[in-house]
Amino acid sequence: MATKKRVRRGLGALLFIVLVAVFALTYTIVSGNRPLLGLDLQGGVSLVLCPASPSDPTVCNKSSDPAVSEDTLDQAIKIIRSRVDSLGVAEPDISRQGTNVLVQIPGVKDQQRALDLVGQTAALEFRPVLAEYPVSAAVSDPSTDTSLDGASTTTSLGSTDTSQQGLGATGGLVEGESALGAQTPSTSAPSTTSPSTIVAPDPALTAADPNASNPAAPTASAVPELTPADQITPEATVVLPQYDLKTKQVIGIFQLGPVAVGGSAVESATAGLDQQGKWEIRPVFKSGADGIDKFNAAAAQCNPPSAPCPTGRIAVVLDNKVLTAPNIKVASFSRDQITISGNYTERDAKDIATALRYGALPVVLIPQQTEIVSATLGSDALHAGLVAGLVGFVLVGLYMIAFYRILGVLAMVKLLIEGSILWGLLVFLSASAGLALTLAGITGIIVSIGVSLDSNVVYYEHLKEDIRAGRTVRAAIDKSFASAWSTIVAADGASVIGATLLYFLTVGPVRGFALYLGIATVLDLITSYFYMRPVVRWATNSKRCVDHPGQFGLPVPQLEASKGSATGTAVRTPVSTGGGS
Amino acid sequence: MSMLGRLYRGENDIDFKKWWRRGLVFSAILIVISVLSLFTRGLNLGIDFEGGISWEIKAPGVSVGEARSALAGVGEGGAKIQQVGTDILRVQAPSESAAKSVEVSQTLADLAGGQISDVSVSTVGPSWGKEITKSAERALVFFLAAILLYLSIRLEWKMAVAAVLAMIHDVIVSVGVYSVFQLEVTPPTVIAFLTILGYSIYDTIVVFDKLKENQARPGLASRMTFTDLSSLSMNQVLLRSVNTSVVAIIPVISMLVVGAGILGAVTLEEFSIALLVGMISGAYSSIFVAAPIVVWLKEREPKNRALAARLASGRTGAVTGRAAARGDGASVVGSAADGAGAAASAAGSAAATGASSVPTMPASGVIPPRPRKKGKTR
Repeated sequence: MATKKRVRRGLGALLFIVLVAVFALTYTIVSGNRPLLGLDLQGGVSLVLCPASPSDPTVCNKSSDPAVSEDTLDQAIKIIRSRVDSLGVAEPDISRQGTNVLVQIPGVKDQQRALDLVGQTAALEFRPVLAEYPVSAAVSDPSTDTSLDGASTTTSLGSTDTSQQGLGATGGLVEGESALGAQTPSTSAPSTTSPSTIVAPDPALTAADPNASNPAAPTASAVPELTPADQITPEATVVLPQYDLKTKQVIGIFQLGPVAVGGSAVESATAGLDQQGKWEIRPVFKSGADGIDKFNAAAAQCNPPSAPCPTGRIAVVLDNKVLTAPNIKVASFSRDQITISGNYTERDAKDIATALRYGALPVVLIPQQTEIVSATLGSDALHAGLVAGLVGFVLVGLYMIAFYRILGVLAMVKLLIEGSILWGLLVFLSASAGLALTLAGITGIIVSIGVSLDSNVVYYEHLKEDIRAGRTVRAAIDKSFASAWSTIVAADGASVIGATLLYFLTVGPVRGFALYLGIATVLDLITSYFYMRPVVRWATNSKRCVDHPGQFGLPVPQLEASKGSATGTAVRTPVSTGGGS
Repeated sequence: MSMLGRLYRGENDIDFKKWWRRGLVFSAILIVISVLSLFTRGLNLGIDFEGGISWEIKAPGVSVGEARSALAGVGEGGAKIQQVGTDILRVQAPSESAAKSVEVSQTLADLAGGQISDVSVSTVGPSWGKEITKSAERALVFFLAAILLYLSIRLEWKMAVAAVLAMIHDVIVSVGVYSVFQLEVTPPTVIAFLTILGYSIYDTIVVFDKLKENQARPGLASRMTFTDLSSLSMNQVLLRSVNTSVVAIIPVISMLVVGAGILGAVTLEEFSIALLVGMISGAYSSIFVAAPIVVWLKEREPKNRALAARLASGRTGAVTGRAAARGDGASVVGSAADGAGAAASAAGSAAATGASSVPTMPASGVIPPRPRKKGKTR
């Protein structure tokens, strides 16, 4: 029979979509995967960083400035990622959004440290030491709090392996490891404040040692004021503090010359034990003019000491803080045979190595927005979101069923199918792409309940209208769908356009809202076509529907006789009042 | 029969011409209030727009006063301290206080009897708000352009213009709501609001699609003015519009009442208020702004002017609503003047039955069925 065939058409699609939903649900349950929770739901740290303007490193790159290249940003992201990885957090997300860098570290325990670690923009540079001053009690340092960041952050890295790289707060640069043995004792300086030594393989150079430990010369002169942050430029002569990496006390004040070598000259650095079992740092410079050549040019000025480098020492400066200021023991180094030795603890050595390796981002990044979310508030928000969603689902379900009866139930089933697929998709994207579910995403999903049901409303109302106009249910079912479908596509299309644009044009975790609303809208199109159409056709093809259209929320079809006569009203009345007998 | 009952049965016969005029006046008032409020009261911008630092902690039983005296100990007694949600304490201070972030966190944690990790801290640079605003503005412009293009292709450009004007109306009125009630504006609310606008256009499209469908029926479109055709279409889709809005708004209200009100999730509150404002203004403007604008644009077309003139001369009065759809020449109500005729038909079928002079049957369905399809499937 033609009718039967017509009904069957589309049942394949119906079966298909139900199977997809069941599969999605089963997959999710069986795989045991859970969607990754965003940091606003489980607590964590989030930062948005912008590249600094070349003209003024305290503000973001303006549109009038030359754009920071994507490569530069990607490189910065790589460095930040390796810093964050050192925290051992499960799913950090570091990504580029436009010209911004977005860092999200959900579930991190020591949130403040994570923030410091990423937030420090750490410009690493090497400057010749003009003079060192003893620390007097009078020294007040305005920038105290920030200074420690570099150091504290780096400590975490050390645990990975002994081959870590690092710069010591105190130590000497030594070339040729074999030679170290003898000279390392140059740690002659008993106190940690004492400068480091660069030890060369040639014992002759040990002569330099004495320099190392005597910052005494300038002692007499007055301690100069620390240079304010806004006056620190690569060309300037500056006065910078040195902090103890652990206690964060100021342990030295250095007057430094212009930047001799930028941090980008360092290729890598590791920390390790020398033959005496002392911790040392082994930086490796890049080869060529921008690497070791530059460093050697600076070293040549310090050994022997000359006007630009009267102390014979070169300070390693991270984020305007002196990490270490070793003596230069030879005039020329080969790029991978340099060691910095001194009285380092394991932690110091590893911290300094980390700073050397990761310290220098290719561009200064300014934190624009940072957020620490406590785990308590996060889980409260998750709980509230889920409960609110559930309540909304139930209420809207009651409304739909009250209004559309059986067709309302079918609409809620459609919602369940979409929900299963969406959930499966969510879990899948979490596992494969690290896409986390945020509170904004949950809101998007809750709102998508309305998106989905709207299609049903449009279809059902169209159906009712056609039936009132005199068509039978069966006649109306396909025609109504065709009209309704065109409306649904137009309306959903506008919604998808909006969600897509907002997803790509905005910044931050809030994009999750647009994302899930967009996905849900597309899913709605799919289920409307493959589920709603066949299932309604199938459901209305029953005898029950003909006998009791009210149970389907449908009006009684107008009979030929009633058409155009006043009796039409009477016929319709029972339907409308009781929703069917 | 109640109005809702008639709506449910599809017997509503509302004279939208009248309502459109009222709606436009109402919208004009809303826009004036919004603009005035924006210039006098301004917006309550969150710290995200001005830069600063904000701490939040769940601290049941801790009063704002206690918090203030505790914070005075670390020199932050002057900070803005609020109780948000049910038991969350929020402290906001300018950027300079960022240096004391840890001390403040510790103070708050001690106060609430928790750990420092229980404190949420948000620090925002001064340019962040500008960035957000810029990207939101850019998104809005692109979005309006995209919608204009999309609807021009999908429907027609006059409808697209009307839809976009309605959205601009939504933006202005919503900004007005935020200004008048001094609700806090945060970047998430801005983005949530813009996204929901894309969805709120759903109703507008439902209406326009029906209008376009009716327009394509020569039998219908040639018998009434475009205004009446639009009013008829509005009546036909009214329940659809109402229901799509209701099912969309219920979950959002649930978020606001259950999620934010009862469970005290602050972010949910910010989100759901933005969504609610966007949805309601979107639903309202689809009927009372977008539709009259499109009518006004279309009535200026020579074709429709000629039609209106012909109908006016050929008949003694204006035919409105569904009565016209039945094509019953005798069902002329009142004179050509909008007033009387509109009022009579606006009263719907009650008027139809009550006014004995009208020989029509009560509104029955919408469009005359096509005889050839009658009973075909049985």
